[in-house]
Amino acid sequence: MIEVKGLKKSFEVENPKKLSEQEKKDPRLKGRYFHSVESVSFTCDKGTVLGLLGPNGAGKTTTLRMLSTALKPEQGSLVIDGEDVLKKPVEARKRIGFLSGSTGLYGRLTGRENIAYFGQLHGMDKNAIKQRIDELAELLDLHTFLDRRSENFSTGMKQKTAIARAVVHNPAVVILDEPTTGLDIMAAQTVLDFIRHLKTLSTPVVFSTHHLDEVAELCDKVCVIHQGNSVFEDDLAAFSALGEGVLSHSFLKTIKQEA
Amino acid sequence: MWVVFRKEIKELLRDRKTLFFMIALPILFFPLIIGGVAYFSSKAIDEAQSKVLKFSVVGAQYAPALVQELTNSEFFEAIDMKADTDAAEWVRGENVDFVLEVPSNYSDDLLQEGQATFKVYFNDAGLNMVKRRLNEIIGTYEEQSQQNAFATLGLTELQQSALLDPFVLETVNVADDRENWGEKIGGLVPYLIFILCLQGAMLPASDLGAGEKERGTLETLLISPIERNKLVFGKFFTIAMAGVTSAMITVVSMAAWGLVLSQGMAIEMVATFMAAIGAIDFVLMFLMLVPVVAIFASLLLSLSIYARSFKEAQGYMTPLVFLVIVPVVLAMLPGVELKGGWAWVPLTNVALAIKELIKGTMDYIALIPIFASTAFIAAVSLAFSVYWFGREKVLFR
Repeated sequence: MIEVKGLKKSFEVENPKKLSEQEKKDPRLKGRYFHSVESVSFTCDKGTVLGLLGPNGAGKTTTLRMLSTALKPEQGSLVIDGEDVLKKPVEARKRIGFLSGSTGLYGRLTGRENIAYFGQLHGMDKNAIKQRIDELAELLDLHTFLDRRSENFSTGMKQKTAIARAVVHNPAVVILDEPTTGLDIMAAQTVLDFIRHLKTLSTPVVFSTHHLDEVAELCDKVCVIHQGNSVFEDDLAAFSALGEGVLSHSFLKTIKQEA
Repeated sequence: MWVVFRKEIKELLRDRKTLFFMIALPILFFPLIIGGVAYFSSKAIDEAQSKVLKFSVVGAQYAPALVQELTNSEFFEAIDMKADTDAAEWVRGENVDFVLEVPSNYSDDLLQEGQATFKVYFNDAGLNMVKRRLNEIIGTYEEQSQQNAFATLGLTELQQSALLDPFVLETVNVADDRENWGEKIGGLVPYLIFILCLQGAMLPASDLGAGEKERGTLETLLISPIERNKLVFGKFFTIAMAGVTSAMITVVSMAAWGLVLSQGMAIEMVATFMAAIGAIDFVLMFLMLVPVVAIFASLLLSLSIYARSFKEAQGYMTPLVFLVIVPVVLAMLPGVELKGGWAWVPLTNVALAIKELIKGTMDYIALIPIFASTAFIAAVSLAFSVYWFGREKVLFR
């Protein structure tokens, strides 16, 4: 279970002159600081898949990075599975599995070594890692390429390996940042199948996306972020009802409320 | 920490490009370059030595015997020159290698005619043997004339040598061979080792920091439950080890090639020289390198993690080479010794100490400021690396 309340994060703007026209018009730019995320709240219960929607630059990635402990929020609270992420980030990391669409692998290591390395970083012992990799290989169908160097993998192979790496430690929650962006249809399908699998294990999943069909297919809950604020949070039926069944209309409507 | 270290080393060992620069280059390439330079320069000297020199003579009639001998010599070839030709122009036009002008007062009888001045027109800008070869032949005539004059004057041999060279300056070098050679090559050794350490550490460093960013593996690594300082230490040790390994390989390969190439007596000299430097001195040199390498590794890591890409990292690192060269060059300047303030200047003091150790004139008290200042800077730069790795601004640029 994930509970996010009033997250806030700003970045210092190094060179205000370099900003584009559009960035200068953004109300989140205040003096030398850009308030990328002003106030984002949502909750995601056990067995729930939450879709995080929002235009480019809305603050989705920043939010998810805070959720994954890569960035530290200035304000707000973050509780994952009863553990306060801000107070015990190292403990919280053991419960989080994180995957982003742009994630890479160590090309000179084999698929197995890539996964095992993160297993070791998570403090797992050799047998546990081996067992878990076998399990994941079965689930994700990795056997054919698991022991080859990952630099020659296809996008699909890479994505499968990255998924296995992200969940090698049996995380309590899984966070995915645009996991299907830039992937071909087959590779994207692997990701979606995996999310479905997590759902059967009743692991809470938060994922951001631009594809509304993925939302319709998988999500129980939707959260829309616009200009650093969460402007909508409810279940899929309520979201769908907003646009009278057309999700893209719903999406535009939630944004226009604020704009 | 060792998980990170082992994985980085494994990855490094599988990287052909890095291995090539770290191992193949120093083993094969550097000796090839040095050997090549040595080969071509010795060939050039050989050529100059065996080349037949063309010459013309002005005033040959004053010293027919001498000119005859020049003409007969296998090293010279006489070329006729018209009487009114300008000698300098003649040489410049590359008609001959030199023009010899015999003075009209040349004679066997020095006591009558006094000193005679031969004029030699030649191009002294390049490598040439004109003076040396002429001196060989004219020298015998010179000696002959001296003997004649001494005989006429009736001088004893004692008087003769006293007149020829009245006061002799005899030097006694109190420095032993080791100190002598140590001074000559001792300044170069730290220079070489420092630069090699830095170079060897550079590629792995860019890979371990900027490389992770570029490949998109950094974020995943940062959110794994490993404490940040352990992550930094793991990477730091990998880079440091790469630097040391690369430097050691180079030094060993140079020594090995040196032994192979300089057969015969040179080996003996090198061997005795090396034997004179005690094991403790070698250990000390190595120990002093540890904080130096630590400084390099942590600086490189900080630069690398700041860079957005591999290319950017390389760009940041290049100026570091110059930064390292300066204190080492300072150590090579005459007058800069391991005393007082210089003992506290980082890098310079280690360079000086290595030189002193090679010379065998080390003042072991100086080790205290050396280790203190170098270790302090190493600790600070490592602490900075850890702090740097915790900055969101650095990691997510």
